[in-house]
Amino acid sequence: MSNHRTSVPSEHKKWGKGLLLLGRVALGIVFIVAAYMKMRPQPAMAWSLASIETSLSMFAMGVDSYQILPPWAVSLVAHGLPPFELILGLWLLTGVALRASSLVAALMICGFFLAMTSAYRRGLTISCGCFGPGEQIGPKRLIEEGLMLLPLALAVCIGAFLLSKPRTPLGDATPSTSPVES
Amino acid sequence: MNYRSDQLLAPTSFGNQRPIRTWWLVVLLLLSATLFPSFVQAQGASSTTVKSSGTSAAKTNTGATKNADPKPVAAGPLVKSYGSASAPIRMDVFTDYQCPSCRNFYESSLRQLIASDYVTSGKVYLVHHDFPLRAHMYSGLAARWANAAARVGEFPEVEAALYENQDAWGASGDIPKYVAAAMPAADFKRMETLVKSCESPPPTSSWDHGDPLANDSHPCAFDYAVRDDIELGYKVPVQATPTYVITYKGQKLPAGSGIVSWPILKQFFDSLLAQQ
Repeated sequence: MSNHRTSVPSEHKKWGKGLLLLGRVALGIVFIVAAYMKMRPQPAMAWSLASIETSLSMFAMGVDSYQILPPWAVSLVAHGLPPFELILGLWLLTGVALRASSLVAALMICGFFLAMTSAYRRGLTISCGCFGPGEQIGPKRLIEEGLMLLPLALAVCIGAFLLSKPRTPLGDATPSTSPVES
Repeated sequence: MNYRSDQLLAPTSFGNQRPIRTWWLVVLLLLSATLFPSFVQAQGASSTTVKSSGTSAAKTNTGATKNADPKPVAAGPLVKSYGSASAPIRMDVFTDYQCPSCRNFYESSLRQLIASDYVTSGKVYLVHHDFPLRAHMYSGLAARWANAAARVGEFPEVEAALYENQDAWGASGDIPKYVAAAMPAADFKRMETLVKSCESPPPTSSWDHGDPLANDSHPCAFDYAVRDDIELGYKVPVQATPTYVITYKGQKLPAGSGIVSWPILKQFFDSLLAQQ
């Protein structure tokens, strides 16, 4: 009887951990693709620091069109966000300190969604800039972000807090209680 | 021989009638092949005549159909650009004079660009395109005045005046008042004469990408330039104003829309100019 009682939560945890793995990999890939699309060189330009700088400057124009940040902050965000998205994507893929990475990812996607909603409510028909230039903010983009990416990020974050263990640089903070959790 | 004469003179059976019918068919086919194209041509000519009835300018334009490339009367240089056409960077901007975002874009960015070293020293070529939106009551008319100003070489002054006084003429529709204040009286008189000859409503863009002059039987000479700009905008595609397309050394970059402040635009030009 006691064996039966302990095996059911373990099964649930197995499934939960599997789903969490899928979710964080999907989220990680989304961030990596988003970073790549923003940083890749423009047509007929080869990969170089100068061409990446051009792409980031072009992304800055997209960020500026949201009319939320002053120019100095626009430049900072436009040059900092894509590399950070790349790091965050890789971080999510590795699964190291998943609670922290998933929380950062969820907060970022919440921020993007709020910025887009704000632009849409102000009647700005601008490029979203989410996956590079050319994607207009509209109901379709808001639904995609609000019904797919945001729930995914929130689910990964909640899952990470429920199923994964907090880690410290020296190792696990909490001792393992079952073989499944290790 | 006898058989043939029998067939022709005394067709008494179906079998004998066949050769005569075949001949008639051949004759009919030849006649129709000869006459049908002439008939179609005549129909086409009559329809263009109906469309082009009106001013001599419109008559020479043979009806203002979408595929035709009419050259209006009083055609001349219609300069709506700033800088040198040989500049490595070309920026095509699609705007509507009555759109508040376009005014903000002009005032916060384009005005500085026009006055800057980027345009004056031949690094950036800025080209204005009209994309009047149907939702704005006077934007088509403003575009017409701006094109007339371009014809007399006063485009920069009129563009600035239109944006500076957008609220005023947007409410009253009195565009000539602000145009007149922006240029010498003699130039305004010339312009006014040109614009006053326009009787039809000015062209505007539409969501279905239809021909802006399709319902216009009497297009004004300047409306062809506006029409060309709108159709170019459809190809971009312009989904909102302002929309800009930047071309670097002949390579078109993805179109952007919305307001971009001057420091950010400048930063982008610098990054392009830093390319090898």
